[in-house]
Amino acid sequence: MNPLTLYQLVAIMLLALGLFGLIWRRTLIGMLICIELLLNGAGLSLVAAGQLTKASAVLGQLGTLLIMGLAAAEATLVLAIVVIVVRRFQTSDSEAVSELKG
Amino acid sequence: MDFRTELILPEIYQTIVVLLLFICSIIDNKRNLAVTRWIPWLAFIGIPLTLVSIDCEGDLFLNAYRIDLLSQFFKFSVAVGFFAAVLNATRQPTLEHGRQSDYFMFLALSALGLMFLASAVELITIYLAMEMASYSLYSLIPLRAQERQAAEAGIKYILFGAAVTAIALYGLSYIVASQHTTYIKDLALCEWSWAKSPMAVIGLTLFLAGFFYKLALFPFHFWAPDVYQGSSNETATYVSTLPKLGAVAILIRLTSMLKPGAEIVSILAVLAAISMTYGNLAALAQRDVKRILGYSTVAHAGYVLVGLVALTREGFAAAGFYVLTYVLMNLTCFWVVCRVAADGRNLDLEDLNGLHSRAPGLALVLAVGAFALVGLPPTGGFMGKLFLLTAAWDHGYNWLIILAAVNTAISMYYYLSMVIHAYTKDQTEAALPIQNEPKFSLVWGGALAVSVLALGVIPAPVFNMAMKAAGTIMP
Repeated sequence: MNPLTLYQLVAIMLLALGLFGLIWRRTLIGMLICIELLLNGAGLSLVAAGQLTKASAVLGQLGTLLIMGLAAAEATLVLAIVVIVVRRFQTSDSEAVSELKG
Repeated sequence: MDFRTELILPEIYQTIVVLLLFICSIIDNKRNLAVTRWIPWLAFIGIPLTLVSIDCEGDLFLNAYRIDLLSQFFKFSVAVGFFAAVLNATRQPTLEHGRQSDYFMFLALSALGLMFLASAVELITIYLAMEMASYSLYSLIPLRAQERQAAEAGIKYILFGAAVTAIALYGLSYIVASQHTTYIKDLALCEWSWAKSPMAVIGLTLFLAGFFYKLALFPFHFWAPDVYQGSSNETATYVSTLPKLGAVAILIRLTSMLKPGAEIVSILAVLAAISMTYGNLAALAQRDVKRILGYSTVAHAGYVLVGLVALTREGFAAAGFYVLTYVLMNLTCFWVVCRVAADGRNLDLEDLNGLHSRAPGLALVLAVGAFALVGLPPTGGFMGKLFLLTAAWDHGYNWLIILAAVNTAISMYYYLSMVIHAYTKDQTEAALPIQNEPKFSLVWGGALAVSVLALGVIPAPVFNMAMKAAGTIMP
């Protein structure tokens, strides 16, 4: 198996774990952690794609750095909104926070 | 790289507006700056500025940022929509006092992100611009004072949005792995068929999913009704209109690199078909006006895609024209919704009862907006649909066009039920008082309605511009 496939498999495993957790986690913070897994898996896949193919390695690394930076910003934003949710619902349980019905 | 200021004049101006609002949001707590009084003027100045740079052409920032008529067309649309959304948001009953500058700062920042999106021609740049536009939206949704549903809508929107973005990034990494570049110009020369490069096809499909989420296309539509219902009427106005412009601009650029017969085009056609059918059928069962408009967004996302699957210059022009029309007609309907809900609550269809006697002008504006959304002549909605369907005919997806026409008939029921409630039902006892600024609401509501009618009566100038814009990517 070539190294790129190996990295991509690890990234897909992170994707599966993240999606699984996103569906099954009961708390909003748990869901945020799963989102981080997803984003970092994507970063891993991108940096591997840049490094192990003809594509420019710098491209992959820069792209991943941007993903990490934006993931941090996203986490801040999610946490801020979770604070609002907890203030208004008195809980961060994702089952309780479902008055709107899709 | 030839850097000329007039190339990115609209962006520079919008950045200045954002910075100004940022300063205001820092000092606003101590004194009253009356942001709502001058921000519509600032937003209005943005429109002529986009017209100044409309004929510019050039590549900036290592060719990652392209200024051409296509990008300028969408920037002009964003500026027009931003002005209307700002004007609409100046009177917000559900916004806490002292939050105005924050609110408009995020609104302006989101519009700036959409302008960047219109010009971005490199996948990582596209990702950055998209995130800039969406992060500001994420923070806008919960800004509805003391409303539990707003907080819920906010957390749902950001969590699902982040998950879909991550999936789009997986797609980006597969594109890099198989095509070795992120510039759309180079990607257009690559093979996009399943037989030659399956990984690239999967990658592009996943990457497009990020924009389907913004566009509220099936199967990424589930947030739309909830977010519209939960967020304040004014925020819903913005969320349901402007982000579609950015998403369609990118979809036009990305689909223009495909050849007819590519698998991704078939996927787009199937998604468009499901999206419009599902959106229209789900809207039939709704009573909340904002949920109706939410599902109508899902249906309209499907209509826009009809223009894209044709992969012709006419198709792309029709999609651009239709999305601009859609933004204007949705702004028209939401304008009335925001004015009728004087205390900022969510409207039921019954709340529209007897609107023709309470506020005849607003009822007429609502009727124009609803007729346009159905696609009846002489409104812009009719011309938009006509351009879309004729442009897509005979390019292998005739079944989709027939389905779109059938869907238009279905959608008539729920759009017209808004008009029926406004015109034929008698006023109920507990009717809401109308916001008491008849002149302001009538003049601007009328202006929106007139623009929707104008696009239907004399569509040629705008359509020709869209046609020329589409010519820059597909000669």
